[in-house]
Amino acid sequence: MALLEVDSVHIAYKRTIAVKEASFTADAGQIVGFIGADGAGKSSLFHAIAGVLHFRGEIRYKGYPYHSPKEAEPIKPYIGLMPQGLGLVLYPQLSVEEHLEFFANIRDIPRDKAFMKYKKKLLHMAGLAEFPDRLAKNLSGGMKQKLSLICTLIHKPKLLILDEPTTGVDPLSRQELWEILDQNRKEERSLTLFSTAYMGEAAKMDKIHLMDEGEIIAQGTAGELIKSARPYTYQATRCKECITFNGRTYSLKPLSAPHAEPTLESLFFINALKKGKIPPPVEVLPRETPIDIPEVVMEAKGLTKRFGDFVADDHIDMQLRRGEILGLLGANGAGKTTFIKMLLGLYPIDEGELYLLGRKIQSPKDRQELKRYIGYMSQNFALYKDLTIRENLFYFANMHQLPLNKASERIERLAKSLGFWDYMDSFPKDVPMGINQRFSLAAAILHEPVVLFLDEPTSGVDTIARAQFWQLLHKLKHIWGISILVTTHYMSEAQYCDRVVVLRRGKKIADASPKELERRFGTKDFEEVFLRLYEEQE
Amino acid sequence: MRSFWTVMAKEFLSFLRSWGLVAVVLYSFTLDVYIAGQGIEVKPRNVRVGYVIEGGGVLPQKILSHLHAPEFQKPKWFASQKELQKAIFNKEILVGLIFGHDFEKNIDSHKGAKLDVLLDATAASQAYITLVYLQNTLLRLENIHIPLKLKIHKLFNQNADSHMFISFAEMLSVITMIGIILTAAVFVKEKEDGTWDIMLLMPVDSRLVILAKAASQIAIVMGGILICVGFVLLGVFHVPINGSFLAFMLLSLLYAFTIAGIGLFIAAASHTIMEVAQLSVLIMMPLIFLSGAWTPIYSMHPILQKLSVISPLRYYIEGSESIFFRGTGWSDLYPYFMGVSVLGILTFWYGYRKIGRLF
Repeated sequence: MALLEVDSVHIAYKRTIAVKEASFTADAGQIVGFIGADGAGKSSLFHAIAGVLHFRGEIRYKGYPYHSPKEAEPIKPYIGLMPQGLGLVLYPQLSVEEHLEFFANIRDIPRDKAFMKYKKKLLHMAGLAEFPDRLAKNLSGGMKQKLSLICTLIHKPKLLILDEPTTGVDPLSRQELWEILDQNRKEERSLTLFSTAYMGEAAKMDKIHLMDEGEIIAQGTAGELIKSARPYTYQATRCKECITFNGRTYSLKPLSAPHAEPTLESLFFINALKKGKIPPPVEVLPRETPIDIPEVVMEAKGLTKRFGDFVADDHIDMQLRRGEILGLLGANGAGKTTFIKMLLGLYPIDEGELYLLGRKIQSPKDRQELKRYIGYMSQNFALYKDLTIRENLFYFANMHQLPLNKASERIERLAKSLGFWDYMDSFPKDVPMGINQRFSLAAAILHEPVVLFLDEPTSGVDTIARAQFWQLLHKLKHIWGISILVTTHYMSEAQYCDRVVVLRRGKKIADASPKELERRFGTKDFEEVFLRLYEEQE
Repeated sequence: MRSFWTVMAKEFLSFLRSWGLVAVVLYSFTLDVYIAGQGIEVKPRNVRVGYVIEGGGVLPQKILSHLHAPEFQKPKWFASQKELQKAIFNKEILVGLIFGHDFEKNIDSHKGAKLDVLLDATAASQAYITLVYLQNTLLRLENIHIPLKLKIHKLFNQNADSHMFISFAEMLSVITMIGIILTAAVFVKEKEDGTWDIMLLMPVDSRLVILAKAASQIAIVMGGILICVGFVLLGVFHVPINGSFLAFMLLSLLYAFTIAGIGLFIAAASHTIMEVAQLSVLIMMPLIFLSGAWTPIYSMHPILQKLSVISPLRYYIEGSESIFFRGTGWSDLYPYFMGVSVLGILTFWYGYRKIGRLF
């Protein structure tokens, strides 16, 4: 009998279905992964298993069945849940040591020698043994996640449920988190459920479940899954009823092109093909207003931003050239958003010089004049939730002083070419994230800017929407000739950029093209590249 | 100008689409003012009286017969003083009367009779007014004839109707509360959603955007004032308008502008709607208490009297009460207009510096 059996679990919120008939089994000593984009249903499924969410269907833990949070009460002592979000279970004003004491207290663990020994071991594993007195608010993102993890481990749970513990965490800390998990599975023989949006972590898992729109679309080991995708994966070619992305073409019907080696991402494309959900083609039409662009669009010299004692960006030099996609990469808290906000003038610059479109920025007046050349898309696609997509776009068009007939023409053109024309009269909350993403891009390029600043445009959208979005950015670059600065915490997205700058704790640690980085570290796996980059810094 | 109207239109649309907010605003300007006007009473009402008669006679019953509805409930008989005290202790009775053994005899023989009164002073004002009421009743019984008569002229409010004032004061508090929260929320909602950053990057002067956003909320508040004055103050409580209604609307507009400035100030200092709620209460309470809405300024501590100068509500209350009840003319209203405007300009200037500019 398996330790955990999940039998057609179905979770629905008011109008949306979060999880559709999910079933799987898992054994003690395994690390079982759930990979999928935000909104794929991973968190809902985890919360149902942890007994904190109502669901339909049955879950059995060691043969003990439960159908509701109330019935799950007796097994809660054996469960450890770490919810999504950096340091969400921590209390900013408590120290590392106090956290462990607190979590031991609420679990009512006796303070015997064994406990003291275990606590010491956990602190050591997490690399926190040296500063037990540091307050949680002063820990870095990676340390916070490690502390959260050992707090979850303090009562030695038999079923460990970790919801995106590595998202936004720097590569080194992620590796250390995995080491803790690996040790825990070997010594405690517990079952770990692990969700992530990073495909690269799949290799470390005993079994993987790919999730998309509330469904488990495939399960097996990484090897098995890739094997299952092989028959449908070809080298890039043109064809009907297929999807081409990043040098591979996926088709259900046999093609004459030679086969290519698939990745885990390939499975999402194949799943879309199987369901007949071929994403609508996305086009970029030529811009209406021609413009000549200087050779260097943006130049930052020693830009620095401090918040009190904390240096968010420490003397950063950067150049954005004409017609270039520059990726600004780093973990959460590395200083990416702060940097973009300094470029835009949303934060004052504490030190350093900034040139935009060949002009030195000295006063708010300079900003005022440059506004119409800059497009900006903020984190989480900031849009007005109580306006429909059409109203939103007209609002922005009005703010950009576009004449009304020209505006409506341009909005129609953009909506049709970016494939969200059918959703024009819906509210942003009612449409898929991918649509919101493209529509906020439309809002950002409505006035045909010269340079685009995109802050985490790909987080929270599914694999296919992400792939499409990157294609879109490349078309935009080619057809409009504009420069694009993109921030992301997906290291693997570095391969789509012309050049990447890597930030680590406010400092620039790399500035090179992806090719150069591949050559320097001898690997095509960017997760690996960044891990090495971070290691160099230690 | 086009951006100004676009922002205004967008804010109205957002407001009308959040029906919960519409309901709260409508409730505050109608039912809330009505309930306050009807419910908050300084007169005794339904006061529970208990009595003990140790002697006999008709006089105690005669006195008790004066305590009738709606001010008093039917007085309740108690067998002994001890029981009455217990009832007062248990909050069953507010006022206790004890007619002693020789009560009637002493009155008849003009020896100076004594009526013991027990008051539950935790309900101080009700108990105290009851006491005054009782004293008046007894005075009339005594039939003293002094060659002195009071001739009373009640100015501005002939029926001494407290409903009018309380509903009026409540409306002014509602304007303050709704004005602050609406304006602060409209900015902080954008901050929370991240749209404010995008707004700042639009090729439009952010002063214009701030003004348009504030103006939309001011318009909503002005609509609320019209509804409240029309339906509740004039319709239900028959508040007189002795001065110029136009002057009142203009003063209200200036006041709404000032309040929007305070809202902007709060928006600049907070990041989430929760913080807005907390800060609003912190700022609103002293604003209302210092204004003289519920306590006359001259009965405050001297330091608080000085502080009340910075409460825009003070000018608004004095100004609008003058217009409604005293019928003060335009030229004498000018200090109120000044006070409200100066404070408004200050708060707007600060708010703009804090949230409205690029660096």
